[in-house]
Amino acid sequence: MTRLESLLHETVAGLRRNGLVAFAAISTTFIALLLFGLALLISRQVNLLIEATTGNVEVAVYLSDPVNPDTVQALTRRLTDLPVVANVDYETKQEACERFRDLFANQKALVNNVDCGALPASLRVKLHDPERYRQVAAVLEGQPGIDKIVDQSGLLDRLFAITRVFRVGVLLVSLVMLVSAAVLIANTVRMGLFARRKEIGIMKLVGATNWRIRLPFLIEGLFESLVGAATAILFLFGLKVAFINPLYDTIEWMPWISNADVLAIVPWLLLAGTVVAILASLVGMRRFLDV
Amino acid sequence: MISLQHVTKIYRNGTVALEDVTVEIDKGEFVFIVGPSGSGKSTFIRLLLKEEEATKGDVYVAGKHLAKLSRWKVPHLRRNIGTVFQDFKLLPDKTVFENVAFALEVIGKPKHVIDQRVPEILEYVGLGDKLNNYPDELSGGEQQRVSIARACVNRPLVLLADEPTGNLDPSTSVDIMRLLDKVNRIGTTVVMATHDQAIVDAMRRRVIELDAGRVVRDQARGVYS
Repeated sequence: MTRLESLLHETVAGLRRNGLVAFAAISTTFIALLLFGLALLISRQVNLLIEATTGNVEVAVYLSDPVNPDTVQALTRRLTDLPVVANVDYETKQEACERFRDLFANQKALVNNVDCGALPASLRVKLHDPERYRQVAAVLEGQPGIDKIVDQSGLLDRLFAITRVFRVGVLLVSLVMLVSAAVLIANTVRMGLFARRKEIGIMKLVGATNWRIRLPFLIEGLFESLVGAATAILFLFGLKVAFINPLYDTIEWMPWISNADVLAIVPWLLLAGTVVAILASLVGMRRFLDV
Repeated sequence: MISLQHVTKIYRNGTVALEDVTVEIDKGEFVFIVGPSGSGKSTFIRLLLKEEEATKGDVYVAGKHLAKLSRWKVPHLRRNIGTVFQDFKLLPDKTVFENVAFALEVIGKPKHVIDQRVPEILEYVGLGDKLNNYPDELSGGEQQRVSIARACVNRPLVLLADEPTGNLDPSTSVDIMRLLDKVNRIGTTVVMATHDQAIVDAMRRRVIELDAGRVVRDQARGVYS
């Protein structure tokens, strides 16, 4: 019992002594992890958008109602015979409806208002090389039972280009911030070691193990980074509620990230915070602790 | 208990601190290490704690060959050795009780052991009524008693004292020596580096004299010079 007590006591004393620097470390970690979380959520949102607009295929061949099974088979065979086609999936009206409901699970009003019969069945075609979409279009030209052929690679490319810049930018900034957070944590640890060098000298003399000496500093670093992480997580939830929730009803045609999506990135933020804190603390105390 | 076999210590800057020193100290002995500043007294003590490694020769403490002792076992060696210094090395923001308890806490002793042993040892060194004072409320002699209590609270086999009376006036020094003698009588091996002539002469214990890193005298019931 006394072990844990005295460890925590030392950690708290260290944090108090280092107040301002600890605060700097906490807020930097907070900003870094907030940006990191934002980057992850943006990725998720983009994926949702892609999923919604294309269902992850490059060419969608919408079939006109009513769908004739023979036509489906004939078209599928024609497509799979093309060397450029990787994969053809047939999506029934029922399946289209289910996918739609999954995507817009947040927007109940939209789901309830859409009649599933209005969603067309389609052949969903993946290409080895999306650039050669024209081949597919040429083969299917004039075939019966086809309502519309939509090439989504062009749209995808543009969407990717825009979001990639955004995502990579945010990710880079968050990386830089994480590094500065690590430097600040290493600095608080080092300052703590310096402030307590007399105590540490005595601990070594009376035979405290290196880990017993290091642990309070490691806990201090972890504490700083996890407080930063927790604040970032709360903030992300806050941002989601404040900015995304109103969109559920106003921009209905698009799926939006849900609370579950935010929850899904929590472990990643905690992991990033923990790793940064441990590395930083170890770097911070490396030089000080030779027996 | 302590054995140095042909030990030479040369520091990285080329200073020869000890040269071919061979010394045997038995369990329960009281030994003075004397000699002028720079004669190697402190190096002698640092070698026993494995704060420094011998350049040549072998050092044994409490049955352990220090050169072969891996780094992670050094803390366990030090739990068998109490250390006392000229400057006391007390923590100013901790009370007398907390200073002594600290030595047990950091080696993971449970609270009931601490609550029993710390008042006991402080009573033993004559500070039973100063448990809750801070070091700056104590005289030099009392502070040194606290540091002796801290060194002894884990019942070490060996007590190393590096100039323990260096900061004290003569009559206080005598009190401290009485205490060290008392610690010695319960079976603790005491090794004390000093250049306090009056004390060495009064105690009539074994004296090992160092000069420029060499043992120039090793006398059973010696005086300073």
